[in-house]
Amino acid sequence: MSTAIAAPRLRRSRARWAWGLGAAALVLWSLAGTGVFSGDVLNPAGLRQAGRSAAGALSPDLSAEFVRVLLTSALVTVAYAVLGAALAVLLGATGAVVLARRTWGRRRAGWTLARAAVAVPRGLHEAVWGLLLVNVLGLDPWVGVLAIGVPYGAVTAKVFADLLDEVPRGAHEALRAAGAGRAAAALYGLLPPAAGALLAYASYRLECAVRSAVVLGLVGAGGLGYQLSLSFSSLRWDQVWSCVYALTLLCVGAVVAGRAVRRRLADPPPVAGDRLRRDRGLVAAVLAVPVLVAWSWWYLALRPATLVADRTGEQLALLLSLAWPPDVSEPLLGSLAAAAVVTVQVSVVAVALATAGAVLLSGVAARPPRRPGPLRWAAGALVRGVLLLLRAVPPPVHALVLLFVLRPGPLPGALALGVYTLGVLGRLTAETLEELDRRPARALEALGAGPVGGWLYGTAPRAAGPVLAHALYRWEVAVRDTVLVGLLAGGGLGAVLATGLQTFDWPAVTTTLAVLVALTLAVDLVSDRARAVVR
Amino acid sequence: MVGRGERVAVVGPSGAGKSTLIGVLTGSVTPTAGAAQVLGADPSALSGRALRRLRARVGTVHQHLELVGPLRVVHNVNAGRLADWPAWRAAWSLLRPQGLPEVLDALERVDLADRAFERTERLSGGQRQRVAVARVLVQRPELVLADEPVSALDPALAGRVLALLTELAAERGGALVTALHDPALALRHCDRVVGLVGGRLVLDAPAASLSAADLADFYGVGA
Repeated sequence: MSTAIAAPRLRRSRARWAWGLGAAALVLWSLAGTGVFSGDVLNPAGLRQAGRSAAGALSPDLSAEFVRVLLTSALVTVAYAVLGAALAVLLGATGAVVLARRTWGRRRAGWTLARAAVAVPRGLHEAVWGLLLVNVLGLDPWVGVLAIGVPYGAVTAKVFADLLDEVPRGAHEALRAAGAGRAAAALYGLLPPAAGALLAYASYRLECAVRSAVVLGLVGAGGLGYQLSLSFSSLRWDQVWSCVYALTLLCVGAVVAGRAVRRRLADPPPVAGDRLRRDRGLVAAVLAVPVLVAWSWWYLALRPATLVADRTGEQLALLLSLAWPPDVSEPLLGSLAAAAVVTVQVSVVAVALATAGAVLLSGVAARPPRRPGPLRWAAGALVRGVLLLLRAVPPPVHALVLLFVLRPGPLPGALALGVYTLGVLGRLTAETLEELDRRPARALEALGAGPVGGWLYGTAPRAAGPVLAHALYRWEVAVRDTVLVGLLAGGGLGAVLATGLQTFDWPAVTTTLAVLVALTLAVDLVSDRARAVVR
Repeated sequence: MVGRGERVAVVGPSGAGKSTLIGVLTGSVTPTAGAAQVLGADPSALSGRALRRLRARVGTVHQHLELVGPLRVVHNVNAGRLADWPAWRAAWSLLRPQGLPEVLDALERVDLADRAFERTERLSGGQRQRVAVARVLVQRPELVLADEPVSALDPALAGRVLALLTELAAERGGALVTALHDPALALRHCDRVVGLVGGRLVLDAPAASLSAADLADFYGVGA
């Protein structure tokens, strides 16, 4: 017919290909760097210890005495998490006003500056904050609260600001035009549309805070993490596993509670009749917050006086004077550069492994749309349980266990972070699959496509974008976590930082922190660009 | 009972069970009572390979199209051949589209050849409807089922697409069963009209014996 028009040509998106090839090269380079291809990575001598550890999984220490210890430790962890998250939300709500695009209007320079200022607290891991604050405040419960609250506050401020900026302007501007004051207009036109998302994010932060409180325990803040590290260093595997199970329960509890709140927010029950009826569960959750905060405050015996004490100020001034100017000597910069390379490689390998594993497992981990048979159900429950366990155990603990069976080097750290991230990404990937519209895949089934064909044409093209976006986001997290693993298990920037802190070499610590922040910022930037391409 | 070469329009108000009837015929819906015979087999009694083989012989244009948005048009059309292709070929085709001439030919027949490499989600509703038709064209089924296949098309294009579907069914000596909401189209393109109300058969007559006014009742609106 109309042969006049030239036959259309397949044109591939150059940006996607360039990013894809770049990512493949990065993964290969990182795999080579962590020594996967060099062989001889196993340490046969450690197999016995690993076997003992595995045996402990089946016979955890459940003696009344130890269970009591676990309970009090869990309370400490919860108290830190609650106060840390509360501080984060408080800082976030105030910070959001400063960070919102709306506040600055056309003055973009001010807005950019405000955003850049927040990047510094965000770039450091909670554990790093903890180690720094210990040097200022000494062994005080404030260390744990601030170590969670400050970096979380920075993230929360950014997210809250974005949420407020996304609210359609119409209602707010109409109120202002009708003569409402600034505060009243915000209260009626700005907050209600954003309230659901704000509360949902706050509850998500509390969930994360539980995990962070455990990690802070590992570096000495008390609670379940501390108990875990004690049991670990005395190689009491039965107790280690009791701690791991307690951690898992705590994380599951936090996730279940957080999800219940978010579900109620996202899908409120219909209101019938002429009486105002509130969702009792939500009211209870909102009322529980001040009660929990007050209890945590009392339980940890926080004293505001510590923060304003003369000694604190003196200590801070002393530290700052010691830490400035930073150490820019050649040997330190050289070792920092090498450590930065290792950190990037470890994080890349971890995320690549986790993504591959998550995709492989997602088919089983996702809940099928129709009622599954008993075998399928059991397989799904097993995989979901294992993923849960993997993400409940903090990455440094994975690393310490892996150090028994692997030779020291970057690989144990990468694998440890990999299995931890697999726990997180596995769940996210399964959720992505569950949320996909099933109809296109079913239409392919209806025309006789096989399972592989159906997956390739129906599921994969639509799941690829969200899954890659999750993986890239987890890469940002993994870079920060690599530092944590390095702090406790050696390797990368974390090890350099640990040495600096142990030898009180403050100028070197300053330089290391600067490199850390710069590296996390760079990774955030690259990941952000890549996500824009994936979208 | 639909014979070879027949063209049947299924009419009825929304919720009457038109889409369910088509689902039963493809085997994606299991009937709660009774059984269906499709090309000499009962789809709800088959499973695995046998069901796949039967399904390959039945082409469906779904009401909500069920296309995969992020895939290019060419792959969505090629998806019609997934029943015949081994897995490796399906995978390879995503990198290097296979059987391009047939795809372009099918797209040409629905006036869409110039959009072959566009991402499907960037097309308009009417264009997507034609992609779904092109998928059935490359599938070359014996029985063509269509659920409102022209709801988003202008009258001229709607007529052409229905003619295409009829032609396709005739090519393999098969039948066309289509749910339609436009009485005029039903009478012009089909030779038999079946009416459903509340899941029950209330009308089964040759198109020649009906007028547009007779059908108006089945849509709940005056036509």
